[in-house]
Amino acid sequence: MEQVLINGVVLAVNYALIALGITLIFSIMNILNFAHGQMFMIGGFVVYYLYGIFKINYFVSLLAVVIVLGAIGWSFETFFFRRMRRMATREENSMLLAVGTALLLENLALSIFGEKQRGVPPVVTGVFRIGTAYLPAGRLLVMVLALVLIIGLLLFVQYTKLGRAMRALAQDREVTHLMGVNVDRVAAYGFALGAALAGLAGGLLVTVFGVNSGVGNVYSIKAFIMIMIGGAGVVPGAILGAIVLGFVEAIGYALLPGSITYLLIFTGLIIFLLLRPQGLLGKPWG
Amino acid sequence: MGIEVEQGAVRAGRVGASSGSENGGLTRGQKFQFALLVLALFVAVPILLGHSPYFITVLTNAAILSFISLGVWITFSIGRMNLAQGAFALVGGYASAILATRYGVSFWLCLPLSGLVSSALGALIGWPVLRLKGVYFAMTTLSLTEAIRLLALNGGDLTKGATGIVNIPRPGAIKIFGLTIVPEFNGADPLPFYFLACVLLVLGLVGVWRLSTSRLGWVFRSLRQNEDLATSIGINVAKYRVIAFAVCCFMGGIGGAFFSVFHQNIYPATYTIADSVNFMLYCFLGGLSYIFGPVVGAFLLVIAFELLHAVQDYQALIYGVLMIVCMLWLPNGILSLGLRHVSKGKG
Amino acid sequence: MTVALLDVQGITKRFGGLTAVNSVSFSVEKGAILSVIGPNGAGKSTLFKLISSFVVPTSGRVSFDGQTITGLPAHEVARRGVVRTFQETTIFKEMTALQNVIVAHQLRSRASSFGVYFSSVTARADEERFRKSASEILDYLGLGAVKQMVARNLPHGHLRALGIAVAMAAEPKVLLLDEPFSGMNIEETEAAVKLVRGIRDRGVTVVLVEHDMSAVMRISDRIVVLNFGTKIAEGTPLEVQQNEAVIGAYLGQADEEVGH
Repeated sequence: MEQVLINGVVLAVNYALIALGITLIFSIMNILNFAHGQMFMIGGFVVYYLYGIFKINYFVSLLAVVIVLGAIGWSFETFFFRRMRRMATREENSMLLAVGTALLLENLALSIFGEKQRGVPPVVTGVFRIGTAYLPAGRLLVMVLALVLIIGLLLFVQYTKLGRAMRALAQDREVTHLMGVNVDRVAAYGFALGAALAGLAGGLLVTVFGVNSGVGNVYSIKAFIMIMIGGAGVVPGAILGAIVLGFVEAIGYALLPGSITYLLIFTGLIIFLLLRPQGLLGKPWG
Repeated sequence: MGIEVEQGAVRAGRVGASSGSENGGLTRGQKFQFALLVLALFVAVPILLGHSPYFITVLTNAAILSFISLGVWITFSIGRMNLAQGAFALVGGYASAILATRYGVSFWLCLPLSGLVSSALGALIGWPVLRLKGVYFAMTTLSLTEAIRLLALNGGDLTKGATGIVNIPRPGAIKIFGLTIVPEFNGADPLPFYFLACVLLVLGLVGVWRLSTSRLGWVFRSLRQNEDLATSIGINVAKYRVIAFAVCCFMGGIGGAFFSVFHQNIYPATYTIADSVNFMLYCFLGGLSYIFGPVVGAFLLVIAFELLHAVQDYQALIYGVLMIVCMLWLPNGILSLGLRHVSKGKG
Repeated sequence: MTVALLDVQGITKRFGGLTAVNSVSFSVEKGAILSVIGPNGAGKSTLFKLISSFVVPTSGRVSFDGQTITGLPAHEVARRGVVRTFQETTIFKEMTALQNVIVAHQLRSRASSFGVYFSSVTARADEERFRKSASEILDYLGLGAVKQMVARNLPHGHLRALGIAVAMAAEPKVLLLDEPFSGMNIEETEAAVKLVRGIRDRGVTVVLVEHDMSAVMRISDRIVVLNFGTKIAEGTPLEVQQNEAVIGAYLGQADEEVGH
């Protein structure tokens, strides 16, 4: 019982990082980042190579993740999505472009990293006991780091100039533009930040689960599920969705064999969406 | 100002704002194109490429992938991005496999039955899910592809889990009054499958074309362009959405059944998210406003993929780059290139 | 004694803590033109959506031709003859004007879906009927010249007329016009007033929501006044003009506009 709770918390906090990243991009730019899972995966590989292979300090490799994924996110916005926006085509086109970026990253990763599952040595060793549950120190570290990052993000969005600009952009693009904010620049930073968050989550979880180049779609779907449950485009929704998914996964994997957990999650999700299509905290779409 | 008369549009088999004859007849340009396609498929290819099983197989794949994508095209026409077609192809494939291996049902019955099974499931799931729009629908259908894969994985004795169903028998002969109308498909020769695939494609094209130009097609278009307005003039939006989706799933199911017999096996991993995405991409690349869109898209991409075989390791990567290039520089699809008088983004 | 064709009884809509429409009741006689007026935010548009079933009421009842239509799906309400237009110019953007109106004949179809697909004799007869009817409606509404123009390219004033044309094609018995005169100058309003009268003369009962006081006063048989979701007055134009509550609600605006 306690083990399940501990697992749930660890998962929830890390998943929140993923959910917040995709929510950020969606709220600022109204684009669903289909490549979010691939960005997560690339983050894992960056840590694998820098920390795992080249034995560089773990935290430095996390910094590298931010730089690499930030650059990728920035490039996507600047070279792809901005262009698409200027072209003012059908609404589906942006979505399709997002799907295309996912395809691109997926195949890029496959070409560069190969197919094999990779793991990294633990950053810290040791195990804590909490009641009847075990909490490996590595997982605790990852959880704490994720928490720190989440708090950092929330503070950033609330108090810094750029963060506030992003919030303004999420609320009303037109007005923000009229207020003199360089919308293009903020959007690019927003995408960079969202991508970096996904990558960081990957860099953290690679120490727990390892990584392989096929894991992108899996995590994209997790991200989708979280925002569908919590409500797309709203920060509390992302966090709520992460909590729900984290705990449902923990409980599910403890009680049920392998893939049935997700089968139930999907079934539950569809039924949930029938009753509340905008998610728990989302605004009614339309 | 300017009255838009889309003469050029007619030539590419385009169905959209004001093309062809509103009563559903074919214009001369469209008849010509279609005849050309039939000729190419049934005559030119077998003569020119019949000696190479490899090419025939590639074209067979392209033909059925086009067929399946035509289904996705229909959901595009009601304004939804459908990323679940992989799921329904899987359902069709399993339906056919189970009927054939467990109950000894002839392939010729399995084929339509698989379509019906997929269609029924599609209608059931679609009824609630189609209320969602835009990204929400896309996310849900994407998850559906995964969910059906998991269902197949955990289907116990029925689907045989990860091992899948193998040794699916090839189509037998169709005999009427002792006369062999269709000979038994033997293993060595891919041509019978090729012809079957082309027949399905042609039937699919005709069927979808007829749907699109009939008043049902206009109802679908009204759903895409303004659901509220459609409701206010008495159109039962929910019903027609489900009909469109059910037809889409029908085509997915038939395609899946074909492939399961073509490859003589089916596994949970036979159709993944990548496949659902591909079906959509074929439509998009060809051009969403054009019925021939999915066909052009599928054939081009499948053939291109094979041609890139030489670059082996980077095949998929170049593929991905091509995708993005097309999206950015050809947002209305390839078929929009050939037309002079057309304005953007119609359909 | 004329029978009420449309009967609104105690219709209420609450969104969370906000009461948009508060127990509004009125009835519309067959062949009448009734206008619903009120300051901005008075709940007029919500009222329309409630009547046509686009929004579900919190309580209350609407009946049409003696039968309750509350709770029916919106397309069913339209089928029965209560058709609404939309405030924003709402048309099928990528179809021509003619196609817009032809599609709107969907309710008048005699052929089955099967027949439509296989182009049966009935289906083809339908299409012919629809084309003729659509053409006639467009001519009647002054859109004869732009039949083949793609709706997206039509000038603003024509879009409004097209919206009405589409609604007319659905053979309404009651037509709910949402701000038909908005944004029009004096000539356009005059033409629109004639149009609405003409529609009524064709046998359609008209209920309209509007801001333009002069048009409303000229055209209406009866007027219902809403303020903050509640009905504050009902009567003939003359009665409403002199009603103190109404004048108060408009805070002097009514003084300028009424009685042109």
